[in-house]
Amino acid sequence: MTGQLSPPARVLITKIGLDGHDRGSRIVAAFLRDAGMEVIYTPPWQSIPAVVKLAMEEDVDVIGVSSLATDHLIVPKLMAALREAGFGHIGLVVGGIVPEDERPALIESGVSAIFGPGSARDHIIDHVATLAAEVRAVKDAALREIAQ
Amino acid sequence: MSLSEPAAAPAPPAAADDIVDKLVAGDASALAKCITLMETGGPAADAVHRRVCARVGRAAVIGFTGAPGAGKSTLIDAYIAALRARGQSVAVAAVDPTSPLSGGAILGDRVRMRRHAEDDGVFIRSIASRGHLGGLSESIHRVIDVMDAAGRDFVIAETVGTGQSEIEVAEIADVSVVVNAPNMGDDIQALKAGVLEIADVLVVNKADLPLSRRTTEQLKTMLKLRQDRQDVAVVETAATKGTGIDALCAAVDAVLATRAGDKRKNREQRMRRLIAQAAGRAIDDAIRRAGGAEIEALVRKAASGELGIAEAAERALSLTPTGTVLEPKRPARKM
Amino acid sequence: MSKEAVQLALPGFEQAQGRWRAEYNGQIGTDRVVRNRSRIEIRPLYTPRDWSGEAFLDGLGFPGQYPFTRGIYPTMHRGRTWTQRQLIGLGTPEDYNTRVRILLDAGATAISLLPCNSGFRGVDCDEVDPVLLGTCGTVINTADHMDRALDGVPLGSISTAMNDPSPFTLLAFLLAVAKRRGIPWTAITGTSNQSDYLSHFIANHMFYRLSLPGARRVLLDHVEFCRRHVPGWNPVSVVGQHMQQAGATPVETMAFTLSTALQYAQDCIDRGMDIDVVLRRFTFFFDISISFFEEVAKFRAGRRIWARLARERLGAKDPASWRFKFHGQTSGVDLTEQQPLNNIARVAVQAMAGIMSGLQSLHTDAYDEAITTPTEETARIAVATQNILREEAHLCDVIDPLGGSYYVETLTDQMEAEIEALIGKIDAAGGMYKAAEAGLVQSMIGESALAFQDRIETGEEKVVGVNCYQDDNGAFRARPTERPDPPRMSEHVARFKVYKAERSQAGVRRALDALKRAANSERDNVYERIVEAAEAGVTHGEIVSLLRQELGFGHPLVVV
Repeated sequence: MTGQLSPPARVLITKIGLDGHDRGSRIVAAFLRDAGMEVIYTPPWQSIPAVVKLAMEEDVDVIGVSSLATDHLIVPKLMAALREAGFGHIGLVVGGIVPEDERPALIESGVSAIFGPGSARDHIIDHVATLAAEVRAVKDAALREIAQ
Repeated sequence: MSLSEPAAAPAPPAAADDIVDKLVAGDASALAKCITLMETGGPAADAVHRRVCARVGRAAVIGFTGAPGAGKSTLIDAYIAALRARGQSVAVAAVDPTSPLSGGAILGDRVRMRRHAEDDGVFIRSIASRGHLGGLSESIHRVIDVMDAAGRDFVIAETVGTGQSEIEVAEIADVSVVVNAPNMGDDIQALKAGVLEIADVLVVNKADLPLSRRTTEQLKTMLKLRQDRQDVAVVETAATKGTGIDALCAAVDAVLATRAGDKRKNREQRMRRLIAQAAGRAIDDAIRRAGGAEIEALVRKAASGELGIAEAAERALSLTPTGTVLEPKRPARKM
Repeated sequence: MSKEAVQLALPGFEQAQGRWRAEYNGQIGTDRVVRNRSRIEIRPLYTPRDWSGEAFLDGLGFPGQYPFTRGIYPTMHRGRTWTQRQLIGLGTPEDYNTRVRILLDAGATAISLLPCNSGFRGVDCDEVDPVLLGTCGTVINTADHMDRALDGVPLGSISTAMNDPSPFTLLAFLLAVAKRRGIPWTAITGTSNQSDYLSHFIANHMFYRLSLPGARRVLLDHVEFCRRHVPGWNPVSVVGQHMQQAGATPVETMAFTLSTALQYAQDCIDRGMDIDVVLRRFTFFFDISISFFEEVAKFRAGRRIWARLARERLGAKDPASWRFKFHGQTSGVDLTEQQPLNNIARVAVQAMAGIMSGLQSLHTDAYDEAITTPTEETARIAVATQNILREEAHLCDVIDPLGGSYYVETLTDQMEAEIEALIGKIDAAGGMYKAAEAGLVQSMIGESALAFQDRIETGEEKVVGVNCYQDDNGAFRARPTERPDPPRMSEHVARFKVYKAERSQAGVRRALDALKRAANSERDNVYERIVEAAEAGVTHGEIVSLLRQELGFGHPLVVV
């Protein structure tokens, strides 16, 4: 397991679209917490503007979108909205059921990884932690850049 | 990749001015970044906070505490709606405990504030206590300052009522609201020592439940017995239905009116305690960990009974080396 | 009923058992403790010392006789096979109609309707991103839509399950359609499949629309309305499915479901309703997991406990009121995305468990149910599975075939004891409504879910294709996902907008005002006004949003 960020990585776990099954996202939130991360947890049915506002206010490093049914179809819209608001550097992963033929579109829109139902806990934690560290590095660089 | 270094290289003064300018102009993104900076600490944070201090004092800071299950977050959600209805802007610092085992946290208070999810007039930040034992976080006073400087009319600090959190909240807030739920038993077990001392407004939530009346009466009776707490308002609310919120607003406003001149005093009181705490940490560390031959000798003498504890302590104080006051320890983390 | 094994006179038993045990221990190597999902220890062998037929009449009895352990009817599946009730829902009302006609042509006598996720959210189709419409259920927002969805369906002779939570607008639309077609409401049969608002609050937030007190009110009004006007309808379906899918163990699921049933029954009694009349129309809805014997024991125990609760605790006098009628659905949670064809085998096993437990109706999942809405082909295989079990495996020939098995009877007794203990805990918390409000049930379920997840992570719980027997070379290539035809769906939405503009606004206004008044008056029946609103052309979204305003928006308690 990778070492931990200080301050801890801040991860948003949320659901957009219409599906409301959140057993999976609650389990992921719990084990990210156990891995030393701060998890901002929202209930399902968040609108895209709400997620953008949340990501900004909470200064998150990574967003985890839990998607069943067809909610992944609007993830590219979320990615676009985040970029437009200046948060394109935030990492985003999708967890849940995404049919094979629809995964490329997500990756192209900037999704870092898609975790299917059988994904191992450690695999998810490692990826999120690594992603958070990368995002932090970018944020820190931006801070230094202002100085120049 | 080595990830255990502290984050953020120090930003030189020019950057601090820049971000504070944006903050004061109302840029929410700058506010978010400043909060992160305050939580992280370090020289850059100090630089920003120094500049921010010149701009504080405008916001009304309201602290909410209450036991889990009292409906505190739902109440705050309704209170925010009332504030927004009268055109005021709000910032919320919702504090949740960090797990002492893992160093992580679930920050779920926002869950109950979804009404305001798209309202730019409501800024919500979830904060983990990060090992701070009081119920708030170590940096909360700086976070509040930054929200104040950002021009928010009302700043709300929310935390679960455990340990010393009511006292901490009372120190940073202009008005302390303690939220109670009607009790299932006959007595108010939930009313801990200290709450009556610091609460400005006592709320009995879930007023639609039959036992709420009794709880209200009990609270009023207890207050009557205290000479110095005659002004404390007891308000009944049913947050899920939205009833009693106007009364809550009125009660808070009333306290704010009487406190208008007191902001500086509260701030200095808090500073005093924080300085004492930081000094205490340094001494604790010096005596317990750093040691040194003279301290060791004192310890041996105290153990054998040659020196009393009080005397040993006095001598230790004069021996304690001056030096850097240490930052609080981070919680131990699972690797 | 005796829980201890009677010491039968079995000469030579101890000797033979001793010999077996010695040989067993010698050959087994390292024996491990085996536990089922409810964490009850499962031993390698069960004998008459664990359970014997001495307590037959008390504990088991005959089918159709109290306490109904062996079945609620004397004939069970031999007399009338379980009802095949496949859930369908996708796309536009026309898409649904095409599918349902295929089913009916194939001989189905019962249908089930699953509305679109937008419907569950309480909104109409013109309020969401079109790409999300009709992918998991059918978009039905008005009586007109229902009419098109059920075109050519003989409403008076088939039974309909409406998978629609409070405020049950789909049934309202159905009744409006029946009236239009001149079919008396007394001829309408079916079930409000998702009337269990507590289970939604606890474990399926997607179905939770109104506040707890609001949902409570609407359910009671719904029960009274159906009793008076649609006597063939089951207004109450107590649902164990969501909790088990959320991670509750089978014991927890049955205990919480029965506690919920007790709560609803008590609420009806408090309203002044006749408990016998009410209970006769109570039905249950469960998931069937792949823990085969555990599921059989769960249902048999549940049936026995419910009979006792109905008779002794609720005071029902009519034996028909003591019957535990349930619909079973094979559990989608056990199905995997990896190697999906394996799911056909899983569904067959789950279905067998359900059939041998004596369920009244059954839905079998399609093998791709974990990934998408079933296609015609996968839906056909799901139905064929039931047909094969009935016609080729002859599962209908014997009533309660597992009855008398030393293992199954012991396990039934053990699960019964645990279920009753848990019901006691809920009682101590003040009943299911209070326990759910306080988050007590949610915490218990959350812990079980985490524990199960842990066991999968460590490999203690094996899932073929996921943590064992994985297929590394070339994952199964899924067909391109079937989605509602975009032009047809946008046409549906466009037509809906036109409809809203062209209907009688005055009629709609009147109906909504009446609904608002009813919601704010203790004495009016809210459901009666909902049905009137449906007849007046009011939409699903309009009804739900008004009731949310007047009776409270449903915000489920989120416990992480």
